[in-house]
Amino acid sequence: MISFKNISKVYPPDVHGLKDISLEIEAGEFVCIVGSSGAGKTTLAKMLIAEERPTRGKIEIGGWDITKIKRREVPYLRRQIGVVFQDFKLLKRKTVWENVAFALEVAGETRKRIKDTVPHVLRVVGLEQKAHRFPTQLSGGEQQRVVIARALVHRPKILLADEPTGNLDTMNTADVIDVLKKINSFGSTVVLVTHNREVVNSLKSRVITIAGGRVISDKAHGKYILN
Amino acid sequence: MLILTSTGRIVVFAWKNFIRNAWIGLATVFVLLLALLSVNVLIGVNAMASSAIKILEQKIDVSVYFVPETTQAILDQARSYMSSLPQTSSVELLTADQALEQFKERHKNDPTINQALDELEENPLGASMVIKASKVDYYPFLMEALKNPQFSFAIESKTYDDHAVAIERVKEISQTVRYFGAILTLVFVIFSILIVYNAIRVAIYTQREEIGIMRLVGASNAFVRLPLILDGIFFALLALFLATGAIFLTLTFFDPYIRSFFDGNDPGLLSYFFDNSGRIILYEALVMIVLVSLSSWAAVGRYLKK
Repeated sequence: MISFKNISKVYPPDVHGLKDISLEIEAGEFVCIVGSSGAGKTTLAKMLIAEERPTRGKIEIGGWDITKIKRREVPYLRRQIGVVFQDFKLLKRKTVWENVAFALEVAGETRKRIKDTVPHVLRVVGLEQKAHRFPTQLSGGEQQRVVIARALVHRPKILLADEPTGNLDTMNTADVIDVLKKINSFGSTVVLVTHNREVVNSLKSRVITIAGGRVISDKAHGKYILN
Repeated sequence: MLILTSTGRIVVFAWKNFIRNAWIGLATVFVLLLALLSVNVLIGVNAMASSAIKILEQKIDVSVYFVPETTQAILDQARSYMSSLPQTSSVELLTADQALEQFKERHKNDPTINQALDELEENPLGASMVIKASKVDYYPFLMEALKNPQFSFAIESKTYDDHAVAIERVKEISQTVRYFGAILTLVFVIFSILIVYNAIRVAIYTQREEIGIMRLVGASNAFVRLPLILDGIFFALLALFLATGAIFLTLTFFDPYIRSFFDGNDPGLLSYFFDNSGRIILYEALVMIVLVSLSSWAAVGRYLKK
């Protein structure tokens, strides 16, 4: 379903972010992409949502070649991939409800669909009681769950989580990982970019390890192998 | 239907952003208000200068004195000919008897003059005609017209030569004021455009993170841009409302002081703003809307490319 073919990224003048990466991720998989800081894992994640473009190679999602995607097509791609970030990226001047609804509103969804969907996804992440709070009135874990709820509203086939637990304590980390597992169990592909050893080892899922811009290990039931 | 829904959402987003972004918005409104006030001050100064020049121009006229024995028929002919010229604004004819009466009235407290007049058997004064041109530039033409052989022989003297220097001076002043007024307006407009553009840029800069987030969740460029443009228009309209209120309150309050500064004459500032308020507000609103929209469009564009 997701295919990276000979992907390289060179930042001028000659800094190599990624070097000839090729890998495939099947529909419904839970994949951890691990690596130390600067390994290139976030660059790879950003390429999935066309925030970064490869210098060489080809990226396909469900048969759609997004390597040279036009700027006006980017919003449509992003509506099909749920994205969760370490720094939450919530709209501070919108309430929890409005943040989640926003992802539907920009896609032109009807008011009825928004009224049906938003409470549903807020229930999935356990925030239906805090729908009218602003992000600054929530804990880090709660903010991350709002982000996940927002990522879920389009029922995406792919959920990309880039260091979603980076700013969270152990309790909130466990909560967020549970939500991700739940989403995966509904059939969505989950791509988790992380350098959290405990999280990776507890998941017992496929682990792709990147170092120096290359894939150095790709195991079906992998473990965190970096020091 | 989709367009209607999207438009509605864009307006709602813009309005909520406007309300929730009040503090940054207030700073933007304040800067826009200053730009508007400076332009309006200049409009006021220009209006006052024009009004002062107009008053000066209205004070200019040409007096023509006829020899005492000029017949009424010739006087009427001179008046009707001069009145028929499109360059003439008004013609006032004073007969010899009226001239004598006015002279006596003016000097009623001067016994020497009264005595001298009594000693004369005939009216020593001739008729006179006061001509005003519709434009200062037309006086030389009117002077030529007075050379009409049908009545020119009856003219004893004209005051134009005495006024010629003053008329030329007024013309020069009015041209200079208009010329510098235009340059100053242009400079103020350029400064105001830069101020407005930068104020909007700063307002958008504070929201750059939000713009990135909107794009990340799949908002199209239009969906990101339009609420921010609309937001800018709200700022501009609020600034215009405040500027208009401030100008009218200030002018109403200071009008008596301004009048006393002009020796009791009305410089026409308050009436100028009242008479032209609709036009001024409309033009300023249009210019501000266009300016703010273009500024917002350009400022947001920077973050949409990333």
